[in-house]
Amino acid sequence: MLTPVLRRLLAVAVVSGAALAPAFGQASPIKFGKIDERDLTAANFAGDSAAEAIVLCDFGRSRFEYIDNDFQVIFERVTRIKILKKSGYDWATVKVPLYHKERREEKMTSLKGFTYNLVNGQVVKDKLASESTFREEASPNVTVRKFTLPNVHEGSVIEYTYTISSDFLFNFQDWQFQNSIPVRWSEYQAVIPKYFDYKMFMQGYEPLAINEHTEGSTQFTLKQNGGFTSGGVNHVATTAETIPVTTKVHRWVMKDVPSLGEEPYMTSARDYVARIDFELAGMQWDGQPYKPLADTWTKIDQELLDDENFGMQLKRGGFLKEQLASIMTKETDLAARVAAVHALVRKSVKYNGTDHYYTSGSLRRTFDQHSGTAGDVNLLLIAALREAGITANPVLLSTRDHGAVNPTFPLLSRFNYVVAHVALPDDKEMLVDATEELLPCGTLPQRCLSHAGRLVMPNVQESRWIDLKPTQRFMEYRQVQLTVDDKGGYTGKVHQEHSGYSAHFEREKLQKIGEKKYIETLAGEHEGWNIPKFAFKERDLLQRPLTLDYEFASAGGDASAATIYLNPLRQFGDEKNPFRREDRRFPVDFGAPVDETVMMTINLPAGYVAEELPKSAVVELPEEGGRYMFTVVPGPTAIQIVSRMNLRKPSYSAEEYVHLREFYNLLLAKQAEKIVLKKKS
Amino acid sequence: MRRLALVFLLLTAARLVQAGGVVPKFPVAAIAAPLRENAHAVMRLHDETMQVKSVGRTISTVHRVTTIFDEAGAHWASETVYYDEFTSVSYLRGVIYNEAGQGVRQLRASDVHDRSLSDGFSLASSGRGKTVDLQQPTYPYTVEFEYEVVSNNPLFYSSWYPQPAEQLAVEQSSFRVVTPVELPLRFQERHLPAGVSLVRSKVGPFDAYFWEVQNLPAVEDEPDSPPVSEYTPAVLTAPTSFEVQGHAGSLTSWQGLGQWSYDLNAGRDVLPDALKARVAALVQGETDERARIRKVYEFLQANTRYISIQLGIGGWQTFPAASVAGNGYGDCKALTNYCMALLKAADVTAYCALVRADEPDIRTEFPSSQFNHVVLCVPLTRAARPDTVWLECTSQTNPFNYMGSFTGNRHALLVTPEGGKLVRTPSYGATDNRLARLSDVYLDAQGSATASIRARLTGMEQERLSSILHGLSATEQKQRIGDGLPVANFSITKLTLTPDNRAAMPALVQILNLTLPNLAAASGKRVFLTPNLLSRLPSLPAAVGERQTDIWLARAFSHADTVRIHLPATLKPESLPAPVKLTTAFGTYSSQVQTLPDGTLQYIRQLTMPRTRFSRTDYPAYVEFRRKISSADKVQLVLLKTDS
Repeated sequence: MLTPVLRRLLAVAVVSGAALAPAFGQASPIKFGKIDERDLTAANFAGDSAAEAIVLCDFGRSRFEYIDNDFQVIFERVTRIKILKKSGYDWATVKVPLYHKERREEKMTSLKGFTYNLVNGQVVKDKLASESTFREEASPNVTVRKFTLPNVHEGSVIEYTYTISSDFLFNFQDWQFQNSIPVRWSEYQAVIPKYFDYKMFMQGYEPLAINEHTEGSTQFTLKQNGGFTSGGVNHVATTAETIPVTTKVHRWVMKDVPSLGEEPYMTSARDYVARIDFELAGMQWDGQPYKPLADTWTKIDQELLDDENFGMQLKRGGFLKEQLASIMTKETDLAARVAAVHALVRKSVKYNGTDHYYTSGSLRRTFDQHSGTAGDVNLLLIAALREAGITANPVLLSTRDHGAVNPTFPLLSRFNYVVAHVALPDDKEMLVDATEELLPCGTLPQRCLSHAGRLVMPNVQESRWIDLKPTQRFMEYRQVQLTVDDKGGYTGKVHQEHSGYSAHFEREKLQKIGEKKYIETLAGEHEGWNIPKFAFKERDLLQRPLTLDYEFASAGGDASAATIYLNPLRQFGDEKNPFRREDRRFPVDFGAPVDETVMMTINLPAGYVAEELPKSAVVELPEEGGRYMFTVVPGPTAIQIVSRMNLRKPSYSAEEYVHLREFYNLLLAKQAEKIVLKKKS
Repeated sequence: MRRLALVFLLLTAARLVQAGGVVPKFPVAAIAAPLRENAHAVMRLHDETMQVKSVGRTISTVHRVTTIFDEAGAHWASETVYYDEFTSVSYLRGVIYNEAGQGVRQLRASDVHDRSLSDGFSLASSGRGKTVDLQQPTYPYTVEFEYEVVSNNPLFYSSWYPQPAEQLAVEQSSFRVVTPVELPLRFQERHLPAGVSLVRSKVGPFDAYFWEVQNLPAVEDEPDSPPVSEYTPAVLTAPTSFEVQGHAGSLTSWQGLGQWSYDLNAGRDVLPDALKARVAALVQGETDERARIRKVYEFLQANTRYISIQLGIGGWQTFPAASVAGNGYGDCKALTNYCMALLKAADVTAYCALVRADEPDIRTEFPSSQFNHVVLCVPLTRAARPDTVWLECTSQTNPFNYMGSFTGNRHALLVTPEGGKLVRTPSYGATDNRLARLSDVYLDAQGSATASIRARLTGMEQERLSSILHGLSATEQKQRIGDGLPVANFSITKLTLTPDNRAAMPALVQILNLTLPNLAAASGKRVFLTPNLLSRLPSLPAAVGERQTDIWLARAFSHADTVRIHLPATLKPESLPAPVKLTTAFGTYSSQVQTLPDGTLQYIRQLTMPRTRFSRTDYPAYVEFRRKISSADKVQLVLLKTDS
């Protein structure tokens, strides 16, 4: 996707000459090779007993140089880390991925490193040897440089510095202030000549300690006949010429940043980590008009439509005519036709697990190969829908583990996925994805439930944002007939239905392990259960709930018991509160609402009565966020129980966490309550 | 010979048909019904040929055709051919057929991805793979792969596992080795089906060996069973003599392999003089041999770390000890060799010992390169009775003289100047792997509780907590311990983990304090409480159909739990559960509840399981044993509210 835009950029920046090192506004917060000796003693880290290592200082700066007819972004970094525990030794091994494409590349130079130890009160300094650096071709476009520092012990301070010169003005180095270990000082400086206009996107939950933006200056030297060229207006130097340029000098600092770890029901740590991202929005040469690059959504939309691996492919669905012919004649109803095309694509191409929003080649090739990325599959779907006379357009999105998209910042790189939008009569619409073999038409895979997507229309003025709110829930329904005998044993019949995402989950499990192992696993989850009979229904009719009917038996004691204790709901509910931490700083994101119902009839053994019964109860989350309802209706020969749990929202804010945790506590306690049966005397 | 000729003829015929492109190949309908049963995939054809070109070179060709029935078998549609600086891939071809056996597509060069197979933690590795993925959106379909690998590393000959995985049936699979007469093949046949045997022949100056199996129905993995590769057919092979980059060796005995390894690494244990002096000073005045070794081991752990570097002959040859001395890091060979050199400086003789770590033990009856790790073995020469210290040199936290589940209970090949010697690493039985725990549970009138728990774990039982202690931050430790607690609602109010390595067997003491809201469920005038707070052994899934494989209980342990339940004045036990005592060949179990004089209820549970193997016919009895334990573990106390 970079290619067409980059090509444009090159047309703008046909330059030659050599640059002088630009003057730098700020001083460095760290001087490589000069450590504070107190950092080698334990006293400085008394409060950090929980951490395996601490970033003492991480300092980066990016600036522009002008070398061999082209601008380059020069990124220099100095990192100093205190190793506190043996488990923190891994921080002394560093991997730096470097991108290259065609003849442009990111190049690493000036790598230096030291390990500092205190030996008998003396600072001992060990140098990173060049034999300890390695290079690995990780993929066709990425080389990883790896190095590890020598003589690392508990208490060592390590530091390293390197420079990356990049030919990719679009991949301006982003900066992450926060890490999985605490950071004492993280600073990023960027010196950007006024020619370049970068959009900056700051995110996270940590405050900036310093946020400065000043003006500076630098100069670039053009050789004879070199120059800046743009849009028919040329500036060509007749003799060697030095051009002074004003710069914007940015400085961002975070201090004492806490570590960030994984918690249940998170989308991606990337959504929460403190960081700043950059995207080139435009360029402007002296005395020439501003040249916007990708600074508005409309512009991004248009470029996508013009892109060989996106919009252009959508126009080339003609080869599908033959395959679609029977659908065209058979399915006249719109919804049925959409479903038929969806089924055709789903059965023709297997999703290979890679997520992109663009194609990896032509759609024809994808169709012939029967395999492709999310971009290949779903752009093929859109092309096929259009070929079948249906109004279908792409919706760009970012999957849950790729992190959220902020609609106020037009950054194409934040997307990694595309699905189809289909307009239905009466202003209705549906979103369709063909990557999942076991999801019905109209249900997005869970990974896509990331709040907002961008609908790209053929007339870009009509493009807009789409709410990716789930159309389905995690829904489970069970009807249980339980017959208890006088020894405390029981037999039962269960009819259970899984709908929405729950159906998808169970169908996947069933496909993976098969019916026999599925039932074995089910029996294994219940102490002493036998499952003599079972039947699955609607395994293949994806739009219907997956149903399972089974019978089970559990033996009681050897003799008739005067008192029988039953805890039947425990067999059909959660066992453990998923939220064990007392507090949380981020939202709890389930992706979709949850709905679990158990309707149970307990038939009592003859001659027994219920002596104790749990009381009916209702637990509510604030603002109708969810509810747990438990109802008991006793009868002379049978007891009816209804247990229903409802989480109405796909996600809950950090403030609601405490309530959610308590909700689970109460629900589990209620389900643990016993029924006591007594023999009539 | 006759059979060989026949197969060759069939293959030729198949090729001709392919060239014509008319007759379907490998139609799914041709698969016999018994092979479809319980199978995710069927190996239609798997022909592997290894040609030994010389003492230092082999060429392997593989032709495999697999029909895939469902998603669970879909990984058979991918192939990764490994290579590194000793091996190269001559070609890799592939074809997809539809159900009817019509060719759908040929593999193209652009479908082959070349990637680093670096394991993620290696700093450097030359291992790479050519990978292809021919997965299709609809089932069934058939994939065909052909590839050839030229290897200059004859230390590893091909071994033949025609049925390497569960739920894979085999229509036909063959293995052929062609080797010069002067380089005879060594092989070991395992579990070959009745009627299958080696066919030997001569092809000019070469000996040819040929095995073939047909129509093997799919097998299924069972709980507590040996791995599938332990009971399906296999032929292991090895050279008699070999040469890797000019280093020649003989593999007819363990002695020979050990000799090769010794010679390859001889002279690499030289330390700088300053370091030698430092070691000498470190152990000066320490007369006890074991204590001297311990001091050196602690020096090693404090001054080195493990970094994996898989390059060149480094796979077998260590970096010199001087390089570890300079950098403070190395891989398993380098660190073990370095420790051996340190001990030498302390006047203690030690030997590197090759082992297969973290996997089933080597086959001792078939000398060949079966190892993946190296540890250090130190025979005590001045002890009153014969004794040996074993050192794991890649860990900075491993207890002194402890092999544990990673390298214990198995064989190792000592590398000595006289060659290899097969020995046993320490074994760890039920009395070594102990958990002893005392829990005080303070119940309130509402059924909520607090608990203070002290546990002492030894041997393999302490390994999990030890890795949590050394590998995770304090917050993550709490989280991980919480993940393993079998309680619905709780908060951890205190957690400490303290290693205690004074005794011969490493130990770890865990202090855990919990608050347990709604621990006991109330119903009317009764309150119910499971006295077994933390140690529940789940039951096994009931066997569906007849058990096919033996029972392997690889890990021995003994658990002793005491739980003292302190009741509020308002609760009195209505009845106490009857004691349970089980004594079987699989293990022994007992649990009981008593009322102490002060009214406290005391629950005691003991479970001991030895390291054993049983015949498959004993499986129902074993299931019953586990079911009884599980149901005893869940027994509940019934408490009456005296104020209601």
